[in-house]
This record gives sequence, structure tokens and C-alpha cells, in this order.
Amino acid sequence: MVPKVAIYDFTDCEGCEVKLVSIREKLLILEKRIDIVNWRLGQEDNKPGPFDLTIIEGTPITQHEVDLLKKLRQDSKVLIALGACATLGGIPAILDKKERAKWYKKIYGEEYKPRGIDALPLSAYVKVDFLIHGCPIDENELIRIFQELLAGKTPAYRGYSVCFECKQANNPCRIINGQPCLGPITQGGCGSICIKGGSPCYGCFGLRQEANVKGLVEVLQGLTDKKEIERYFTMFLSRAFDK
Amino acid sequence: MEFVIEKKKIDKWLDDLKKDFKVIDIRGKALPAKQYFLPPKQKTFVFNKKTKKLSCPEYKKEFLVFGLGLADLEAMTQLDEIMEKPYSDFFYWQKRNKSLIIGLVDESIEVAPGGDVILEKITDQQYRALILTDKGKAIIKDEFFDKKDKPSIKNYPQPDNPFKRMLLDSELLAEAVKWSLNHKIWDKLGEQCLGCGICTYVCPLCHCFSIEDQVSLDNKECSRCRQWDACTLPEFSKVAGGHNFHKTIKQRYYNWFYHKFVRAYHEYGKSQCVACGRCRENCPAGIKISEVLKEIVDDYKKHLSAI
Ligand code: SF4
Ligand code: SF4
Ligand code: SF4
Ligand code: SF4
Ligand code: SF4
Repeated sequence: MVPKVAIYDFTDCEGCEVKLVSIREKLLILEKRIDIVNWRLGQEDNKPGPFDLTIIEGTPITQHEVDLLKKLRQDSKVLIALGACATLGGIPAILDKKERAKWYKKIYGEEYKPRGIDALPLSAYVKVDFLIHGCPIDENELIRIFQELLAGKTPAYRGYSVCFECKQANNPCRIINGQPCLGPITQGGCGSICIKGGSPCYGCFGLRQEANVKGLVEVLQGLTDKKEIERYFTMFLSRAFDK
Repeated sequence: MEFVIEKKKIDKWLDDLKKDFKVIDIRGKALPAKQYFLPPKQKTFVFNKKTKKLSCPEYKKEFLVFGLGLADLEAMTQLDEIMEKPYSDFFYWQKRNKSLIIGLVDESIEVAPGGDVILEKITDQQYRALILTDKGKAIIKDEFFDKKDKPSIKNYPQPDNPFKRMLLDSELLAEAVKWSLNHKIWDKLGEQCLGCGICTYVCPLCHCFSIEDQVSLDNKECSRCRQWDACTLPEFSKVAGGHNFHKTIKQRYYNWFYHKFVRAYHEYGKSQCVACGRCRENCPAGIKISEVLKEIVDDYKKHLSAI
């Protein structure tokens, strides 16, 4: 039986869906093994559930989207979150609430009643079966996860940190050179792409299992001040930092 | 008869070798030479579902790894032993047998620790070739090396390394690390260590890997990959059913020491450490293995004298 698959998106930049399209000929191979019955971005003819697998990109920020998410959960055997917005809240969740209140008043006036809901990961509302992290996701990881699903396996998270791939890329270590980096506590899979490009790792692949957050914060305290460390964590891992 | 090469000719010699070999210069690389024989990620075999045939990637071209220092050479000799006993590791030797190892050593050598050829510094401008194998002999060409009866040889002493001296008594290290299981230092390290695995990746002797099977997207092939694992990582000691032998970083970090200094001593008669210093240089938490060992050994000695 060819599994019925739906791909939905809530608030986000759609970059992870673009990544899905960018696997090109692999997507054509995939299409032969699954039946994409609903994909707003990819096709015109869309059917309602139930679905064997629903992939959701983005995060709900209106009540309508939250309701749809709950309905999709009911209609789907397996529900997978695609990209950091869906898995962690991502970019929409960075927002500073105090600043938002200030700008609401400034732009829309005192009378305005905000309708927006704070961006949270999908798992704040429904049970999510697997998280495909990344901002954006990595194509090879996406293919790996599809391979596992189609082989009837439960997909596995990467048990190693970004540092593994960073060492393979022969990048000079930022922390050793006195610059902050969240690589040691972040799940690998991205190929350390940011460090390769001269940026720190901000943790978009999510916390690696059993990550030593406290230990890393202590190391970072030797490199920079508390505010700066907080700034690093607010990108994707603010929920880990609060704990 | 000695074979002497001018320092400035070394790169030209390497260029010439590129005609016959794939030449890998490891100077300045974070990962040690083991990566070319036991790659971080490797497909070991592929099963074709239609033909029901197994195939194994073949490595045809000979390759040459250049630039190993004394500790690296010693580590390669030891890794060869590990990969031979008790079972020969087919995939390691498949590559190793196709390779040549060339050392580049700036200190005077007392005993050549391994490799096919070692270039040993003899004056500020010259190295001599210590030829250790027939394969090595074949690449020493007259074009680049001068034959000399009695070249002038300066002495470049190896810097004193207390860590290295400590390793000479591997029996004491084995006893001390074993004894230290309940030492408070492991509590501290259990908090400090980020469990990133870097120390293991950069160690020229760590050789653990995990196995991952894949079915291709088109469902035509299955392949078995192996990739480096590290005993500080959470999946390392997990078994079926989710049970984990080493639940905490503290236990896992202790295992790193236990394997290197206790188990290795019992299995091979020596520690699996050559004091290369890579784990210390690359640890983001600033943990210094030599200082950890020293504290343990000192306290063990105190414990012995108190009995
Ligand atoms: S730069 Fe960051 S990711 Fe890379 S090794 Fe250092 S800590 Fe790890
Ligand atoms: S290096 Fe870090 S921030 Fe960059 S893609 Fe990888 S996990 Fe995300
Ligand atoms: S490199 Fe340092 S922090 Fe990372 S696992 Fe090794 S000891 Fe722990
Ligand atoms: S010093 Fe560290 S990296 Fe070097 S051999 Fe010893 S344990 Fe391995
Ligand atoms: S020290 Fe750990 S990673 Fe290294 S070889 Fe031993 S068990 Fe494996």
C-alpha cells in the first residue's frame, strides 16, 4: 500500500519546503513510493484526510491554525514536524514580547486587540512523532529520514553533536579560539554549515539528547557576558536556556 | 649510506609522488591519520535486492599519507596492532595495505616508531630518510635525495614531556585508573565534560564505531555503514530495549579513561595513548587529560603508602 502523505505549512518562510523540492530527482523517486494527496505549495489538486503521514512546516500563530493542527493530528497516523519553526518555534518565536506590545500601540493605536498567539513548537499543542530539525533542514537528513520511514523503521535522531561534522570539515574550533558556539550541545546532521561559513552554531538542529547545557553555559561565561549568551540561546534554544 | 633531502625540496618530492599516488598531507589537519584507514563514515557493503548480490567498495589506487610526527607514527603502529588482534579488520586493512606512511620529524629519533619512511631533521636545512620498508625504499629517488656517506648530523633533543614519562609505567596507570572509580575527580569532570566526543575523534588511537543500515530511497539496495562513535556520547552504550550501561556523562567519561588505560593494558600490554596532546588542544571544555591522570596517580600512590 502506497502511504497517503500530506504536507502542510503554518507561519514560516517556506524555506524547508523549498529544501524538499531541491532534492529534485530524489523527489521524483520518492513520489513513486508515496502518494502526496495534499500539498498546497506543490500541487493544485488537494484531498482531505485521513493521511498516513502528515508533514508540517511552520508554527501556528492564530487560533485557526491551532485548530487545524489539532484536526491534522486526529487525521494522521504519523505526524512529523519539518524545520526549526515547527520543531522549536524557530524564527517566529525569537520575538521579544515587550517590544511587540510597544510596536502594537505605535502602529495600530491603543484600541488594537492583538489576535496573534506566541509562536511555539508544534509539540506544545499536539503529540509529534518525529522532529526534522534545521533552519533550514538538511537535504541528506531529510532523505535519510524518508528512507527509514519507508523501510518501516522508527527514524533515529543523530546521537552526536555538530562538533563531529565540524571536526571532519577541519574548521578551527570557535570555542578554543575564544568565540561562543552552541555546537557541543546541538544535534549533528547539518554538516556544520554555519561554522564552515564563519558563523557560530546557534543550535537550529535542536538539543542533542542528554546535552550538557549547564556545562556549556559555564564554558561560555569564560568567553562573554550573560546577556550575549542569552542572545545566542534565544535564536533557537531559549527553552533549553530557561530550564 | 644516508639519503639526505634538502628541506626546500620536500614539497617538490611530494609533487613528484603525486604521479603515482594519491598524496595526503596531514599537516594542520584536526583529525589524525586514522581517518584515512578508518573513515569517519564508510559504506562497508551493499546488498542488491534484485540480484541478491553483495558488493564491497574496492580501493584500487595506492595512497600516501605524509607528515606524521613521532607520536602519530607510534599511534599508527599501535592502531595496526589493534586492528589485527584479536580479529583482523577487513575494511581497515583494505585501505591500510594500499597505503604508505611518511613521517616528518623535527627531533632526533632514538627508535623509529613506525611508518614506511621517516624524514628526520639532521640540520636546519636538511632531513635524512629513515627507510623502514621496501615500499618506502622504492620512493626514495636520486632526483631528490643525495647519497652521503657521513652527513653532518645535529642533535635535536625531544622536549621533555612529563605526560609521556607517565605513560612509560602503563601498569601503574592501569591500577590507578581502576582504583579511581569512586574518586571525586569524576564528579567534577562529569559536570565539566560537554560530551561532545571531540577528544575521541581527534585521538589517533580511539577506534570505536557504530553501525547503521540503510535502504536506498528507490528500495533497490541496502547498505551497511559504519561511522565513528565516541564513548562520551549517549548512544554509545545503549543496547536493545533502551537499556544504557553508562547513563551519565560521568560514567561515560570514566569509560574513556578505563578503556585507554585499564582495558588496553590488559588486552595489549600498554595504554592506548601516545601523549600527542590533541584531546587537550581540542577540548572545548578545557579538560587536560595529563592533569587528570596525574591527580589520579598521585592520589593512588598516597593511598598505597597509607595502607
Ligand atoms: S566550532 Fe563549535 S561546532 Fe565546531 S568543534 Fe568548536 S564548538 Fe564544536
Ligand atoms: S551549525 Fe548549528 S545553527 Fe548552523 S545549521 Fe548546524 S545546527 Fe543549525
Ligand atoms: S572534548 Fe572535552 S568536552 Fe568534549 S567529550 Fe571530550 S572531554 Fe568532554
Ligand atoms: S593525548 Fe589524548 S588524543 Fe593523544 S593519544 Fe592520548 S588520549 Fe589520544
Ligand atoms: S576510549 Fe572510548 S571511544 Fe576510544 S576506543 Fe575506547 S571505548 Fe572507544
